[in-house]
Parts: sequence; structure tokens; C-alpha cells
Amino acid sequence: MKKNRLIPIVLLKDGWIVQSKNFSQYQNLGNPVATVKRLSEWASDEIIFLDISRGDKYDTKRNDQGYKNRGSFLDIIKDVSDIAFMPITVGGKIRTIKDIEDRLLSGADKICLNSMAIEDISFINQASKEFGSQCIVISIDAKKNLDNYLVYSKGGRHMTNFTPVEFSKIVEDNGAGEILINSIDRDGFGGGYDISLIEKVVESVSIPTIACGGVGEWNHFSEALEKTNVDAVAAANIFHYIDQSVYLAKKYLYESGFNVRKPDLIKI
Amino acid sequence: MSKTKVCILDYGSGNVRSVYNVIRHLQFDVVVTNNTKEIRNSTHVILPGVGAFPSSMKKIESSIPLATLEIEILEKGKPFLGICVGMQVLADSGSEHESCKGLGWIGGSVKKLCADGDGLSLPHIGWNDISITKQSQIFNGLKDYRDFYYVHSYAFDVEDKSHVLAHTEYGSNFTSIVCKDNIYGFQFHPEKSQRAGQLLLNNFIKMYEKE
Amino acid sequence: MNAKYCKKCVYPISAVNLNIDDEGICSACKTAEKFEELSDDFWNQRKEKFEEIIQPYLNKNESNYDCLIPVSGGKDSFYQAHLIAKEYGLKPLLMTYHGNNYLPEGDHNRDLMRHAFDADHIVWGPSVDTLKKLNKITFKMMGDMNWQNHCGIKTAPIQIATKFNIPLIIWGETDWDISGMYSPDDFVEFSARVRHEHDLRGYEWYDMLKHGLKEKDMMWAKYPSDEEILEVGVRGIYIGNFFKWDPNKQTKIIMENYDWKPSEKPFERTYRRFSNLDDRYENGIHDLLKFVKFGYGRASDHASKDIRTGYMAREEGVEMVRKYDSVVSSDLYYWLDYVGMKENEFWSIADTFRDPRVWWIDDGKWYKNNIWGGASSYGNVHLDDSGIENFSKKNRKY
Repeated sequence: MKKNRLIPIVLLKDGWIVQSKNFSQYQNLGNPVATVKRLSEWASDEIIFLDISRGDKYDTKRNDQGYKNRGSFLDIIKDVSDIAFMPITVGGKIRTIKDIEDRLLSGADKICLNSMAIEDISFINQASKEFGSQCIVISIDAKKNLDNYLVYSKGGRHMTNFTPVEFSKIVEDNGAGEILINSIDRDGFGGGYDISLIEKVVESVSIPTIACGGVGEWNHFSEALEKTNVDAVAAANIFHYIDQSVYLAKKYLYESGFNVRKPDLIKI
Repeated sequence: MSKTKVCILDYGSGNVRSVYNVIRHLQFDVVVTNNTKEIRNSTHVILPGVGAFPSSMKKIESSIPLATLEIEILEKGKPFLGICVGMQVLADSGSEHESCKGLGWIGGSVKKLCADGDGLSLPHIGWNDISITKQSQIFNGLKDYRDFYYVHSYAFDVEDKSHVLAHTEYGSNFTSIVCKDNIYGFQFHPEKSQRAGQLLLNNFIKMYEKE
Repeated sequence: MNAKYCKKCVYPISAVNLNIDDEGICSACKTAEKFEELSDDFWNQRKEKFEEIIQPYLNKNESNYDCLIPVSGGKDSFYQAHLIAKEYGLKPLLMTYHGNNYLPEGDHNRDLMRHAFDADHIVWGPSVDTLKKLNKITFKMMGDMNWQNHCGIKTAPIQIATKFNIPLIIWGETDWDISGMYSPDDFVEFSARVRHEHDLRGYEWYDMLKHGLKEKDMMWAKYPSDEEILEVGVRGIYIGNFFKWDPNKQTKIIMENYDWKPSEKPFERTYRRFSNLDDRYENGIHDLLKFVKFGYGRASDHASKDIRTGYMAREEGVEMVRKYDSVVSSDLYYWLDYVGMKENEFWSIADTFRDPRVWWIDDGKWYKNNIWGGASSYGNVHLDDSGIENFSKKNRKY
């Protein structure tokens, strides 16, 4: 039987892995390889690796460490994919077919589009024809606006006229393979997922949906799995707070009877 | 004593790097190449694959020396493993986007997964387990961890059911592992399936290691 | 080279693991703000949360130590032991990694612990021969002779906890508080990744084997596997997440209740007298190397912390930086004698670690920008011609 996935999201900003709170406060955690190695050792189902840098400069500002300080995103992806024996979805700043190709050749298994999908819907079509829709994840950031939700682009800064449901249907029609639905309001607050938002999106499409935004405890994962038909549950910050985090989260879900893989540890 | 040397065929399929990495991690000698001499000198051949059947076949036909490959695999019996679309192209034909001929090494055709009725989403993306239908050494040591990573919308409908080693349930059952003599196919991605994937890859290589 | 400094404290942008936001405030200040915002009510709730967390461990345990406290004998560890053993009346196992760099006052304080508290105390000190070798090896490898200390402190206690079946380890100040890596609500716990990446700079015991050390020399440095840790259920929690961390206040409590001694002599590189008595180099040449690499030192750390907790104004902090950050402390000679190295060799190795984002060369001297404005020279360049060329190449990038 197909399992629900538990997916750590790793945010890269200017060469550092960071925590993100409300899309505006960032705390440096460290080097991409060290972080992904641990997530890999804890047998993560998959990871989503997002580049949220504003510029083009990648620099951990350390040249005295046992880890290489890579100056380019593609080099970082190569290093990261070398120690990941699970799928990696790479997103952030993808604007052309070549961008996608470069990332896939550097080791990404899937790519994730956000702003570009909003700017040019036909790009999704193009990309899925070229690489296959199973390779294309569309990430949708949504914020509550009075009673409705609206889709935002550019890291939550630019409002569009689409509701998440409308936009999800459009991207599905245009060849997207999966949807990553993220609540801007809940980001970094640890108060739980926006269940209503997730439910709306999941019910409106037939492609797999990944929930994101707001996890603060393991039972937030179980809440989403229980109350919605979401395919996968994702989180960013929380996996950085304790050791063996992914293993323990998986263990909690597995022992509570949820349809997830048995927790495992891998030697890298 | 001939030392193991795994050859990964490169026809522009995206997951070559990951397959290379996992074989290195398992501590076998491995090379990524389409060179006829290297193919002849290798002890195992792996055909990775992501993407669609027709475009993959086109790339295979234009970049891989099929004549040499057929001699090594079909005549000389060199162990061969196709992964994901690399397994699907073993079929006689496929129907993704357009009707297209495959390598025809194992009888059958590639068809879209039937996943409606249960409200299951396509593509089939995620971890799913296997049900073993025929015993094989390739399953040695496989115990609790039997989930593998899948990402596909099409599957191989095998003509001769004795060529099916395992199937997987998604809506209905589809073939997840196919085997005819020395030719194997995995619908899932062993290079992305952590413990279970590494076990099967290790078994595949070790089964055919010359003493 | 644009030297950027935090507007609130005195940290430069080159400070380890730091970032400075669009308003010019650094991540450490931002995080400290969050901690300062917490009212007494909040801290009471957190205290309750602490008690909730430790209760299951006490309930299950009739016969073993209640927890393990990694201690150096310093003010922080004394406070931790005081809180656990005195205020909560628990029986901890105290555990010290002894890197052989204690000041005499530090020795006294460390040995005092099991007199002051009803607690057992294990001290694990590697062979001095091994330590001397490691001092030199890691200085050449990463510009830090104190790697053994960072490694030992973050490894030996976890090993002992797994061996003695003690699941709960109680640490003090929230990890990497110095860069604002985590916020109060994160309730972060000890992590192997942070240890490996930041405390050990990505190196482990096996990296030392190619430099002439053997596995048996490094037993104290081997971190337990995930399996071993999960079997015992070892986890490390930080008191700083549950009780307001105030070193000045804490030191007062310690000195009032116990025979704890601060440093007899003032330190040469900082104004505080209470810190790092367990390691003579932490405020000395280990920290000097931080200045050589990144252009800031212990005084910047202490002043920034004191600014954030309201004990010091920024102008005063800048004065501390001016007075102390660049001092070449006399423990340099103690160390050179300890490991058998000449001063010239020391500087020529140290100079290879200068950060080209911070330093530049002019007229055979090292220059950098100052937080009080302008730029100054800080010593002669000890690189050969090819070294200077390499540096200049990197320098051009910035």
C-alpha cells in the first residue's frame, strides 16, 4: 500500500541553511551538506530543498571547516545529492527550461516552481512535456484575506487574484505532478497546519498534495493525515531542533497507526 | 578471477548520478559510459531512466550501441538491470503520448496505470511496498523494510506471468519487478529507496559475481 | 571592503554563524530580544514545562542517577549543578572533560564540586601526550588548538550517559546563543549535527588518524551512534530554554553560596573575570586566533552579551573592543612551550587563516576596518611571497 510521506523542507539562503519565521526572520543553522547528511541518516522519505536567496552569492564565510564552501547553487545540489539516498526536490529561482535541466543533471529528482508558475502558466506545460509531469512540483503560498485565501508570489510579497483552489486546478490542467501548499500565516509559528486550507486544495485536484506551514509538534502531522486526504506532510524548522528528529516523528506516526514507512536509520 | 565492474549506460537520463553514487556507496567499481569496449569489459549493465517512454527510446536508440548491448545481454547473458523507464523500454511497446516500439527483450506492453475508482492520484508518487510472486535470490535478506520509491504513471503489463517477480498495489496490481533469465527490471528507483533499494542492488550485483 | 557592524551590539558581519538583517540588527540581538521579551509569567510557564519534561525520567528511576550534568567547574556548570542538586534535590552524575588547560582557580572550582553538591563526579582526561599532539595538529588544520576541548566537552558526557544508561543530560546556555541560531520557542535540544558542524568544524576523530594518532588515542572523541543514543533515549536539554539565563546574577549566587573563585588575575583579552577558568586559552590565544581569522574577539562576545541584557551601553562596548580585541596575550608563550613550537612558525600558520573578507595587506602589515571608524594595522604579515599572492587573489573577490 502506498504510504503517506513525511518530508523535511530545507531552506537555503545565501549558502546557509536557515530557519524561517513568517517569511521574514532568518536564523543561520549551518552548512547544507551537514544538515542533509543527518536527514539522510534518519531515512527521510524525501527532502525539498528550496533556494530562498535574494542574490546570487553563496558563501558560508568559513574557509576553516571540514566542509567545502561552495560558491554556486548547482555545486551545492551536487554535494547534497551525493549523500541523499532518497529523492530530492529542488526549488527556488527556476525560470527557464535550462534552469530545470541544470538542476536535474546536478542530482535533483524533481523540481519545484513557485513565482514562475504564476507569471507564466504555459511554462508548467512546457516543463512537463520536456521532463515529465512527475518531475514538476508547484508550490503555492497562500494567505488568508478576510474569509478567503489568496495566492501570493515572490516569497509572500506580491498578492495575486487567484484563490489556492483556482490556481491548483489550473496548474493540474497544465501538467503539474504535485502541489506543495504552504500557509504564509502559519509559517514558523508552530501552531499547526491550516487544515481548512489543505482540505480545500486536496479536494479540488487529483494530483498528490503536500502540506506545509506551521508544524510545532508531531501531532500536527497526525492531525493533517487524519482530517484530510493529503498525500504528504512537510515541515522545515522543527526538524532542526532535536536529534533524530525525523526518526522520532516517523516513530510517533508509525506507532500511532498511521500509514507511514517504518522508521529507520541509514549509515552514510 | 574477474573483478566486478558495473556499467551504467548514459543516454541523457536524469538519474545517472544517483545510480552511480549508490553503487559507489555499495563499494563496487562503477563507470558511466556508452563506450562499446567498456560495455564489453563490464560485468553488469544498468540502464537508468526517468521521463517518458517515447523520448527515452529515441535517446537510447541514438546514443547507446544497441547491437553491442544485445550481444552482451541477450547472447552472452551478462546481467542487466533496467530502472523505472529503463525497465519499461524492455517491453515490446509503450503507449505514453504516442504508440512506440520498445527493445522487445521481455514480451508485453507498457500501459497507463489504472488508478481511478479509489480516488487515487496519478502519477504514482511515493513509497509503496512489494508483494513477492516468485522466489529469487534478489530478495535475500529482505525483511521488514520493503518499501521502495516510485514515481511513474505507466507500468509494464508483462505477457508471460512467470517473468513477474513482484507486484505492487496501487488501485490494481502492477508489475514492480520483472525478470527474464539475466534481465531484470525495477519499476521503482532503488537508488532512492535507501535500505531496501540498496539491498536489492547489492543482491543483483553479488548474485552474478564471478568467483 | 564594507565592514558591517550590528547597530545594537558590537558584532561584525564576519562573526561566526551570524547574519545582519535589512535594519542592521544582527540575528543574535534579534534572538536575545525574543528572550528579553519574555515576562516573568512566561518564565514561570517555562519552569513548569521544564518540570513536566524531567518528571517522567524521575518517575521511571529508583536506582540510577537522575541525570548527567556536563561540568567544567566554571560559573555556568556550578549554576547548573546548584539548580539541579540543590533547588530540585536531584542526584546528578557530574561529568568533566579535562583538556589539561585549567587555570589553578579552575582546578580548585572543579574539584570543589562534589564537596559542594551531593553528586558523584567523573573526570575524563586524555593522555597529555595525545593532547599536545592534537593541539598542534588542529592548529595547523583549522587554526584552532582548542579543538580537543570543544570535542571532548561535547562528546565525553554523551558517551558516559549512554554507557551509564542515563537518558537525561542537562546543559546550560542555549546552544549557539552567541549567534542567535535558535529562538526561545524552538526549545532546541542538543544535536549531533551542531556538534559536528560547528563545534568540531566538520572534523572527527578519524580525521586525526592520518596525522600520527591512533584510534585508541581518540576513544574519548567518538560520538555514540544514533542506535546507541536511541536505545537509552539520551537527550540533552538546555536550562537556558526554561530559566532566564543571566551569568552575572548566576555568578553572584555561586559566589555567595560556595567557595567558588574567579580569576585572580584579570584576563588580558576581556574585562570579565568569571569566564573560562577551565581553559586558559579560551580567552587567550584560542580567542586571539578568532581575531586573526575574523577580526573580532572575546571582548566583542562579552560586550555584545552585556549590551543585550542591559548591563552595558554600546559606546562602552566599543571601548572594550578597542581595548581588548587585538591584544596578543602572554599565554601564547605558555602554549608555545607546551607544544614545542617557535613563535615565527605560529604566526606563519595563523596568517594562513586570515579571512580575506575582513583583512587586507598594506606595506607588509595586516589592516582591517574598526567599529569606531577608520582602519588600523594589526601586526606584520608572516606569509611568504606565494602566501601573500594567494591571499591577495582571494582578497580581490571581496
